[in-house]
Amino acid sequence: MQEVRMYTLSTCPWCMKTKRFFAEHHIPFEFTDYDLADDATQARIMRELDAAGASGFPFVRIGDQVVEGYQPARFAKLLGIESQVR
Amino acid sequence: MSVESRKKALRYFFAKVVEPLGFKFTPDHELAEFLLEQEVTLESKHGISFCPCQPIRRDRARDMQIVCPCIPFHREHFDAMKRCWCGLFVHADVTDPGSLPQLSAKDLGIER
Repeated sequence: MQEVRMYTLSTCPWCMKTKRFFAEHHIPFEFTDYDLADDATQARIMRELDAAGASGFPFVRIGDQVVEGYQPARFAKLLGIESQVR
Repeated sequence: MSVESRKKALRYFFAKVVEPLGFKFTPDHELAEFLLEQEVTLESKHGISFCPCQPIRRDRARDMQIVCPCIPFHREHFDAMKRCWCGLFVHADVTDPGSLPQLSAKDLGIER
């Protein structure tokens, strides 16, 4: 199973949907809510987004691949679970 | 001012801005209400109704680009998606907002 790590916002419904997607498919993941993080963590997250050419949340890293936005079909493809997703 | 009153005021002001740009509030009423509520919360905290789905960087020039409605700053990207990033606004002809994927500018080959 590939490691899943995501950056999210507590105010963002698409971030909530993204977390729900991984939970419902029993995919373990770690997340950090950017807006609730300390200054140093926020700065680190921004450097990571900038390096990936991303600017919005959710920001999901699946293995060495990055997905910006709530993209369930792409999550499924990267996880190899397309058959489980409508 | 109560949250509901402020949401109503934001609806009024935002409609004036987005309609001439060819956008409208999403027909997904539940989503719109949730997003507006988040914006009222962000406005209470920061003094500005920022987008609930984009990061506040504490860089004024960049943060001004995520003040709702942020469509003018991301026009090419949002026109390509037919929605704004958080989905509060969709193109005027959209009747099924659930069918519109949230794609990054990079996914769409749009340079920022």
